[in-house]
Amino acid sequence: MKNPTDLTIDLEDGGGGYKSWLLIRQLRKFLSVKTGWQHLEDDAAVYPLGKDNLVFTTDAFIVDPLFFPGGDIGKIAVCGTINDLAVMGAKPLGLSLSMVIEEGFPRGDLFKIMKSIDQMSRVARVPIVTGDTKVMDKGKLDKIIITTAGIGLAEKIISNAGAQVGDLIITSGDLGEHTVALLSKRFAYKTRIKSDSRPLCQELEAVGKYLHACKDPTRGGLAANIAEIADKSKVKIILEEKHLPYKKETNALSELLGIDIFSFASEGRFIAAVAPRHVKPVIGKLKKFNRRANIIGRVEKGRGVFLRTELGGLRPIEMPRGKLIPRIC
Amino acid sequence: MNKMRDKRKEKILKEINLLAVKLGREVKLMEVCGSHTQAIWRYGIRGLLPANVKLTTGPGCPVCVTAQEDIDLIVFLARAGIPVASYGDVLRVPGYYGSLEEAKKEGAKVFTIYSVEDALTLKKTLPDLVFFGLGFDTTAPMTAYAIKKGLTVFSTHKLFLPAMTALLEMGEVKIDGFINPGHVSTIIGIAPYKKLKVPQVITGFTEEDVLVGIYLLLKQLAEGRSEVENEYLRSVKPDGNPAARKLIFEVFKITDGLWRGFGKIPASGLAINSKYKNQDARYKYKNILKKFVFKEHQQMKACRCSEIIRGLSRPTACPLFGRACNPDKPFGPCMVSVEGACNLEYRFQDKS
Amino acid sequence: MCLAYPGKIISIKGDRAAVDYGGIIKEANVSLTKVKVGDFVIVHAGFAIQKLTDEEAWDAIKFYEQNEG
Repeated sequence: MKNPTDLTIDLEDGGGGYKSWLLIRQLRKFLSVKTGWQHLEDDAAVYPLGKDNLVFTTDAFIVDPLFFPGGDIGKIAVCGTINDLAVMGAKPLGLSLSMVIEEGFPRGDLFKIMKSIDQMSRVARVPIVTGDTKVMDKGKLDKIIITTAGIGLAEKIISNAGAQVGDLIITSGDLGEHTVALLSKRFAYKTRIKSDSRPLCQELEAVGKYLHACKDPTRGGLAANIAEIADKSKVKIILEEKHLPYKKETNALSELLGIDIFSFASEGRFIAAVAPRHVKPVIGKLKKFNRRANIIGRVEKGRGVFLRTELGGLRPIEMPRGKLIPRIC
Repeated sequence: MNKMRDKRKEKILKEINLLAVKLGREVKLMEVCGSHTQAIWRYGIRGLLPANVKLTTGPGCPVCVTAQEDIDLIVFLARAGIPVASYGDVLRVPGYYGSLEEAKKEGAKVFTIYSVEDALTLKKTLPDLVFFGLGFDTTAPMTAYAIKKGLTVFSTHKLFLPAMTALLEMGEVKIDGFINPGHVSTIIGIAPYKKLKVPQVITGFTEEDVLVGIYLLLKQLAEGRSEVENEYLRSVKPDGNPAARKLIFEVFKITDGLWRGFGKIPASGLAINSKYKNQDARYKYKNILKKFVFKEHQQMKACRCSEIIRGLSRPTACPLFGRACNPDKPFGPCMVSVEGACNLEYRFQDKS
Repeated sequence: MCLAYPGKIISIKGDRAAVDYGGIIKEANVSLTKVKVGDFVIVHAGFAIQKLTDEEAWDAIKFYEQNEG
């Protein structure tokens, strides 16, 4: 039975799970010029400048709904790119802001989004220094797409390929809250949970030098991002179920809608690999920002990502598959 | 609190072990609800049980037992341009013409909904909308409610109990006792199960529920009893939910049901009755549907789902399992459904 | 097979009730059950299918202990 849809891009290719990862790999193969740049498969690319490293990244934001509890597309467009620089060990220098807007988009909403962008820019102390705006005919675009690119400087680069056997895996706080906030409109529920979207610069300035690998678990959640660290570092990672900090609401939503909790995204947290001798001071510093910063696993020899269940059994954690769909059974 | 729980769990496991020793022989218990299969994997229950107590999976996943013919018909309808709404579970089940999800990618109007009320809302803008009604006694009342409110439905709803009867009559697998489905029982109550001459315990879905359910079954076997016990007291009342049952039979009539793996099971299907004929998609769109011809050879031969849901085979015995067939590229519904035996085995198998 | 989840009714308006599932509050249709504010219900596919007994009775092992000698 033929599958003609393999000829077209589908939503799963952008979902942050296994298929997305495959697509990005395929697309990278088309790009033949690299000259001088490194870490081309990391959260940001690196250009060594002697003592310092120039770090450069970009991201597009298509979140729906545009406004959600705890933030909006503007906020995550700024924080997302700042964080991609920060998790590489870079201090962000400036961002670009490109917006493609659908004809008919309310001007008031656009200004609201700009206010959020400015607010995050001030909180993180990172300027928006250049940008572009385009408008497309009504119906040719769904409301708005925001793309931000950022540059930063880093003395020491934290690579996703740097996790070492014997390292401990930590989280900077509660996981999955962004998704809980985001889905509330789509699945018609109320909750006190707000998006965790925020810049991570302060935390990473405090502990960055101790981190061997670091990622913010955004699209694809904990599962996809820890899998990437494990894959790039060529190690096995075991997470401890009883230590994973998910709030009761996050658990409830996952059960209620039947969506895998490990695919829930966070926009203001990071997961990292740390040497055991540094883990106590690192957690100590991080707890000042979020009480639930914690050790959640460890790195071993081998490959793959596993969960040690509350019963002591070991089961594999798969990369998220498919779109988030609720189930009845 | 957790220490207390662990102590009580230890106590139950001790009792289970004592009963298992007393029984001596191999005992095969069948769970017939996908949510139980999931709980058993999630809580590692198999690993906790003594070696002579075996758990086998039955046909309790409504996605898994939906006949391929019905999948093909609804996909056929979607591809013919009729908007289709369904619960998320069934979207990726591959039929001969592909799945609903694939139809959607190729332009068909396919919508995923959480509740029939979402479908009713959708119908306001899409008057031709057809709801793919699938599920057992627990889910049929919701569809009935929506039919009364005007929704057009393609029904593949089934009554669960006849499948348990069929399993026993077919005698392919030795079943010493059933872990009865908690939410079907919430609707049908306790009495209907009494005609099955085998130990049964209606069980809830927490780890403790399942362990107590297994304990009670072993106790029945050790004492030579064959009864229907109710462990899920908090949800299952002796007479179930009469209002829900009344609603089902205002709208549906009992017919032969078409089950994957079992073929026709008499009096196990729910078809929309004549009063609501105009909302029966099988009638309303019969001119489109009659163009569809289902042939035996169109069935996916290599897939062993049909045997797996009858408890005849473990997923690991299927040559496709884990190789050609996995949750990314599923061959059959047992791998698509997150409560399917194959999907659960693949995701939860202990790699330690 | 029938994913159903327990929650507490916090308000009722006609056939619909706001149900609290532990910090997630979502509406469910309560036309199949007779319930009041404060009751716990088990909800399947957006409909409450039964009113649950008091929370204290939810502890399966406790029930077993009480019913054993």
